[in-house]
Amino acid sequence: MRQKILNALIGIVVALLLGAVLLLLQGYDPLATYEALFRYSLFGYYPFATTLRNAVPLVLPGLSAAIAFASGVVNLGQPGQLVMGALFATVGGLYLDLPPALMIPVLALLSMLGGLLWAGVAALLRRFFDMSEFIVTLMLNMIADFFTAWAITEPFKDPAAFSPMTPQINPNGWLPKWGEFNTMILFMFAAVILAWFVFNRWKAGYEWRITGQNALFARLGGCNINRNFMAVMLMTGALAGLAGGLVVMGGPHRFIRGLGANYAWDGVMIAIVANNGLIATFLYGLFFSAIQTGALGMELITSVPNEISQVLQAVLVLVIVASREYLNTFVEQRAARRRAREART
Amino acid sequence: MTNNPTLIEMRHIVKVYPPSVLALDDVTVDFRRGEIHSIVGENGAGKSTLMKVLYGLTQANSGEIIYKGEPVHFREPGEAIAAGIGMVHQEIVLIPEYTVWENIVLGVEPVNWLGKIDRQRARQLVKQKIDEFQFNLDPDARVESISVAARQKVEILTLLYRNVEVLILDEPTAVLTPQEIPQLFAELNRLRDGGHTILFISHRLEEVLELSDRITVMRKGKKVDTVPASATTRQELARMMVGRDVIFTTRRKPQPPGEAVLRVENLSLREDHGRVRLNNLNFEVRAGEIVGVAGVEGNGQFELVNTLMGIQKPTSGRIFIRNVDITHFDILQRRQYISFVPQDRGKMGASLVAPLWEDAIMTHHRLNPRFSQWNGLLLNTRFAQQFTRDLIENFSVVAPSPRAPFRTLSGGNQQKVIVGRELLLQSDFVLLDQPTRGLDVGSMEYIHDQILRIRAEGRAVLMISADLEEIFLLSDRILVLYRGQLVGNLPVEQTNPQEVGSLMLEGQVQSS
Amino acid sequence: MKILIGLINGMISGATPILLAALGGAYTYYAGVFNIAMEGMLLTGAFFAVLGSYYTGSWLIGVLLAILGALFLSLIFILFAVVLKTDEFVTGIALNLFAVGATTYMLRKIFSVKGVFSNPAIQPIPAIRLPLAENIPFVGEILSGQILMVWVAGLATILTYFLIFQTRFGLRLRAAGYNPARLDSSGVPSSRMRALSLLACGVLCGLGGSFLSLGYVNLFAENMSAGRGWISLAAIILVNGNPLGIALISLLFGFSDGLGLLLQGYRVPSQFTAMVPYIATLIALYFYAARKRRLNSA
Repeated sequence: MRQKILNALIGIVVALLLGAVLLLLQGYDPLATYEALFRYSLFGYYPFATTLRNAVPLVLPGLSAAIAFASGVVNLGQPGQLVMGALFATVGGLYLDLPPALMIPVLALLSMLGGLLWAGVAALLRRFFDMSEFIVTLMLNMIADFFTAWAITEPFKDPAAFSPMTPQINPNGWLPKWGEFNTMILFMFAAVILAWFVFNRWKAGYEWRITGQNALFARLGGCNINRNFMAVMLMTGALAGLAGGLVVMGGPHRFIRGLGANYAWDGVMIAIVANNGLIATFLYGLFFSAIQTGALGMELITSVPNEISQVLQAVLVLVIVASREYLNTFVEQRAARRRAREART
Repeated sequence: MTNNPTLIEMRHIVKVYPPSVLALDDVTVDFRRGEIHSIVGENGAGKSTLMKVLYGLTQANSGEIIYKGEPVHFREPGEAIAAGIGMVHQEIVLIPEYTVWENIVLGVEPVNWLGKIDRQRARQLVKQKIDEFQFNLDPDARVESISVAARQKVEILTLLYRNVEVLILDEPTAVLTPQEIPQLFAELNRLRDGGHTILFISHRLEEVLELSDRITVMRKGKKVDTVPASATTRQELARMMVGRDVIFTTRRKPQPPGEAVLRVENLSLREDHGRVRLNNLNFEVRAGEIVGVAGVEGNGQFELVNTLMGIQKPTSGRIFIRNVDITHFDILQRRQYISFVPQDRGKMGASLVAPLWEDAIMTHHRLNPRFSQWNGLLLNTRFAQQFTRDLIENFSVVAPSPRAPFRTLSGGNQQKVIVGRELLLQSDFVLLDQPTRGLDVGSMEYIHDQILRIRAEGRAVLMISADLEEIFLLSDRILVLYRGQLVGNLPVEQTNPQEVGSLMLEGQVQSS
Repeated sequence: MKILIGLINGMISGATPILLAALGGAYTYYAGVFNIAMEGMLLTGAFFAVLGSYYTGSWLIGVLLAILGALFLSLIFILFAVVLKTDEFVTGIALNLFAVGATTYMLRKIFSVKGVFSNPAIQPIPAIRLPLAENIPFVGEILSGQILMVWVAGLATILTYFLIFQTRFGLRLRAAGYNPARLDSSGVPSSRMRALSLLACGVLCGLGGSFLSLGYVNLFAENMSAGRGWISLAAIILVNGNPLGIALISLLFGFSDGLGLLLQGYRVPSQFTAMVPYIATLIALYFYAARKRRLNSA
């Protein structure tokens, strides 16, 4: 535990230093830039609320990727599952009319269904044709991208809009706000707790974990590998889908072009940085969201383009992951040297 | 030979494997020019590590090496080879997809100006070396198609091709059949007579006595002594290795077997290309009986385990346990009848990164309702922990806590956890695949006691082992597998290691 | 006839970037590097090609800069995956995202635009006219007028095949993938071969990227590699890295690209025609998996 925190701190510091060098090279003041970055993401009621809210589409795909990877399932389809979830929720929101107390859960469930079905396609192709889910989910991402693009230009297009987008969904499906806090963050908290519980306390979760660590052992031990694979695929698809639905219901209330952005891929990265730990995924999700959120404010103040946040994120990932493995060997080697000294005396 | 000048001196070598395994504890030893020097010791005594330090494959924490009168320090094997020291590892590291000559010239390939490999010349150079040392190899054969003994020759030739003077061989006979060993020894003697120095790692004392000029004995990372082979005996070496007298006799008490538990009928496994892996096996294992399966590795043991466990489907035949036909059961269904200790702990027997308790409850979590809560949805972690603590206590496992990562346990303790887990399943039939391979003597004896205990309980045991000594120590009956066929089914009182050995090697080829 | 020629030309230009990236990936495949960074390398190459061509007015400098840009990613890959031994998959994913971020950032910073940068000052890679072949009906119309990079891709295929299977470099490269321990013990550090393979991959992906932004079209758009790096990865896996197989598969994907354009003429929505290459990949994967299953069923 201590080692994990130390690793995170070292990684973050080194990455920020590297980022500072990049900024210096371009003639910006790194201190002022970082100051603005965190002022507009963490310090203050509104910035913090925004960071939390922006974390939703990062944390949910992150959880999805973390659970999948830790279970030995290479689901890289979060981007596609996210937009499919968003599309399902949007279409539901356009045609259903229920009271908010019903409408919101129904739309959330619909978005999960969308992600689940899209992940299910890959799961079935793997199950029945042995097609590696790795490539299949990647290809399905592209296909989902084009499919949703078509859906918002042709059948569900808002006739009043100039660019491809759907009309706004029924206001009963809009997620309410409490002050600056959008209630979508409640879904995120619930998802983190539930996912943690399933993964760490359910018998199925135990089998998923062991399968991810050593599939042959799990199989010989009597775990139903195929059913577990299916379950993980569908569950992680639903998580990514939910992210899409929440983005629609909490934000623009419609499906606009580029809605998925890089959320899901960032989520995958977050899972990797977190070494597939669920709580760590949540925390890193918040941190990455802080960077993305603060970058917008930073741009206003310092004229550093906010896209620098994407560069910073990639550097963070590499440095944290590389230093994790280094720290491990370092700690072990130090113990070895101490033992050797004891032996000599 | 024993009066030749010293070629290599290793002084006060200390090596610790991270985090805290003391592999070499202040070892000082010398090797002379033109001798065959054996290094013997149990698994984990540090013999391989010592040689790896010499070869630059791993770095010592302290100590020095004097080679040809000069202090040397090889940071990687390439430097050692350049200086004339080469090592052949226990696991043969060749590229199966390449031919013999490609493997040998790799790294020192003759090329033309374009960087294109001059095949003609490369082949010719390799052929010359083969003839020079009378190695009887086809340079154009693909390595995947040649025997293990031939692969070993390729390894040795690779070093000779680079003109090494010192050859280190790590347990070379472990992978050979008894027939192939004299040939290797003849080749090694020829090399020695030609001026090469040979360092020979082994734990087979007869071989060592036959081959060596001098012998160094190691125990638990320390050097015990170096003695001339002519001045010692097997008993003395064994005592130095283990630190006490070793009993080579069985503790198995006579016991009449009960009714058949496992029954295998006409079991066959054919591959698509028609290769026969298992050929019409018929045998029984009865209650209170240990049946040992002997055979050179690769003669069907792997496939027998796979078909019994349901990993592979047999082409024909049936498997019964207590008259239940399990031939078409899936793995979980079979697990209600079979306890299974696999041969490879890290690959099949456990997850190394998981905490101990998660490895300890595997299969139990499915079969024992006490592991469930909420109608089978939740895992009862408290019971799981309790179960693991009991297992640790009942099977003398040394582990800090049920939450310790499995990989931090020693090999012997890991195996005890797996054996304990499987025996606690209380199945009538127990399948053991190399249950003590690579273990220290203490753990090995402990596991042997456990196997004898379940025999006394009246359970049926099928034990596959590459160690004939172990088979004779424990078995009531011995099955011999040869090219997928059962060529022997012998009560242990009516046979001897020589007979089983020749069945393993030649079989009694029946037309089928 | 016109349709057929259009289809074939569409196939060739669709295949070229995939072929170049996949050939690059073949080096890393044989060297045993799990390299999924082709997507990011293509994108980086595409950006730097436009950058060089726009500022110097020379497509050649554009291409050279594209190679340098992609090589920069290779170097990061080597630093993390080969030197620091970070997980290759992680490195690849992070690099792909880094490429998206960095190119978007530079697009904004250097050209002050979001989304797309196109400008008549961007000098495209020239097409090669073959006066002799031009007059041959049909064949001439295909052979002549192809963009230079198409020929480069063809040449790269043959060169890659030669390097991997005939030379000392190739023997060692494949050895690094088959059994790095063997290569190490023969005195050649396998990490060096892995690093070299990544450099080769950078060069070829740089070429592929420059074709995307100076040949296929004449502009740079955010994320314009559009999954081609992933498709090239699929192509490598489908033929186990064999360069000739890669060429064939790339043509197949190029064909589905061309087919997509053709279908648009029949009023199929463009979004669906754009899916064709990805669906083609799935179909190819199906046959690959089916064959592998047959081989494995023992």
